[in-house]
Amino acid sequence: MTTTDGSATAGSTSDVPPGVMTDPAVPIAAVGLRKTYRDRTVLDGVDLHVGAGQVVGLLGPNGAGKTTTVKSLLGMVHLDGGSASVLGRPAGDPAARRALGYLPEQFQYPGWLDGRQVLATHARLIGLPRSEHDRAISDALHLVGLAGRGGDRVSGYSKGMQQRLGLATAVLGSPTLVILDEPTSALDPIGRREVRDLIRALRDRGTAVLLNSHLLGEVEQVCDHIVILDRGRVVRSGALSDIAVGAEVRVGVARLDDGALAILQGFGRVTARDGETALVALDDVAAVPALAAALVRGGHGIRELVPVQRSLEDVFVDLVGPNEGEDR
Amino acid sequence: MTIVRLTLREAANRKVLLVGAVISTAFLVLFFVGFNVGFNSAAKESDPFESAAAATLMAVLGLYAVQFLAAFMAVLLASGAVAPEIESGRLHAVLARPISRTSWLAQRAGTFAALAAAYIMVMSGAILLIAGIVAGYDAISPGRAVALLALEVAVLVALGTALSVRLSGLAAGIVVIALYGAAWIAGIMEIVGIVLDNQALERIGVVVSLVIPSDALWRGASYYLLSPVYAAATSAENGIPFVGAGAPSVAFILWSIAYAGGWSLVADRWFRRRDL
Repeated sequence: MTTTDGSATAGSTSDVPPGVMTDPAVPIAAVGLRKTYRDRTVLDGVDLHVGAGQVVGLLGPNGAGKTTTVKSLLGMVHLDGGSASVLGRPAGDPAARRALGYLPEQFQYPGWLDGRQVLATHARLIGLPRSEHDRAISDALHLVGLAGRGGDRVSGYSKGMQQRLGLATAVLGSPTLVILDEPTSALDPIGRREVRDLIRALRDRGTAVLLNSHLLGEVEQVCDHIVILDRGRVVRSGALSDIAVGAEVRVGVARLDDGALAILQGFGRVTARDGETALVALDDVAAVPALAAALVRGGHGIRELVPVQRSLEDVFVDLVGPNEGEDR
Repeated sequence: MTIVRLTLREAANRKVLLVGAVISTAFLVLFFVGFNVGFNSAAKESDPFESAAAATLMAVLGLYAVQFLAAFMAVLLASGAVAPEIESGRLHAVLARPISRTSWLAQRAGTFAALAAAYIMVMSGAILLIAGIVAGYDAISPGRAVALLALEVAVLVALGTALSVRLSGLAAGIVVIALYGAAWIAGIMEIVGIVLDNQALERIGVVVSLVIPSDALWRGASYYLLSPVYAAATSAENGIPFVGAGAPSVAFILWSIAYAGGWSLVADRWFRRRDL
């Protein structure tokens, strides 16, 4: 489907804009997504890549554009710019959703059906062979902790049970890609832990997961890649280990004078000072050896040079700002 | 067909079918009793034409009530076709499946139209059967009448569905019922215009029947529901008010079909363009 340089080849992919990978093995490839509602820009050039079997967390404060991004991938929101492919098909093409499971942020299932009937409807919609329905439905119910409740009417479910049912529809029929939008919003702490286990189980099966959440701890525990959105832009993306570690270093020198500070400031921002030790937020994580070399060249004896382990929350607050999460 | 099943199940489980069946059965029992008493007393005291007129009047009014119920059923179902599904979030889970919006909407609106049309068929059949058994009533063409009434509910479902893409369920329902009422009044104005020989009134009636053909379709259908004896002896001037005095024109029927088809296309276009 794609040439080695990633450009689309002629043929079945002719309706796909250039720049979008159409490899069916790539669950999500989105480039430059733009969406404007009247005069409010919700997505401002969002790039998002989810590789096969990857668990990617889409983070951001309320109103950052997470749900809009997800909906555009599902063809529910029409983009004003950019292009996206899902499982090798243009986003919005029903065929892109053949092997995709989705739990909406705002979920509700027909109260007049029982849990198994809801799942049977979804099994028919994804074209699961009739002979596999019973087993697939039981598997899905078991996986989300609703085994034994499948025969109850949805109208009698608690909000948390409805969210579990939504998770069951999302994992029904072993999809290649599962998109979960705030999957634990209605769950208690035990339910949240079970969802984390469920996501890990999906990863072990090789299922790609896009997890939309503002619960940093949740994302930190299950995701291997992270994309942080703020005001419709990607402000940071990469492997969790790269994001959470090493952007800041603690530097201790024999004498922290103006010369040493000038060198440190050449590599980033000095965020704190204590005696002869400074904390430096590096512009480039890979610049630690260069920083060491510069200090030595300047005649400053290095006592310590330690990458600081930061929590995802520190990174998040740094990027998004402590007081800007509301009112957007 | 999955959405058809789901929609039917929704109608069944939301008690639409049950309540409809109970009320309709009560209505038919009432109609049977009323028709029986009314026709027998008319047959005892008047000449054959007058008793035929009495039978016609009662049968057509019974069918008018059926048309009214079916129209409201169509409007209430269709005006909740899309907006409440989006607001509740039920739609998102379904449309994340490999199904196009067009297919979902066509199956859903089509099921509603079919339900209302089936209701018309069953209830019209029952009324005509009662009138036939009690009074030997024989309409001009029940088949054509039912076809026109089915077209009427199709018109209302198409319009209601389109509006439910743009408006809330309540607002869409109010707009369609208001238009249905306007058509009804315009139909009366047209008849009054004919009786008074006032062309301006007549013209208003014609224009409104093009804007919303529901009442004109009823009047076309009602003509086919008259007994031939009665229809031959009356005209618009001395017939039953809000009942048609002649067969609808082919042009008007084609317009109504195009109207339903047109609103269906508009509904599809609006729905495909809408952000969910």
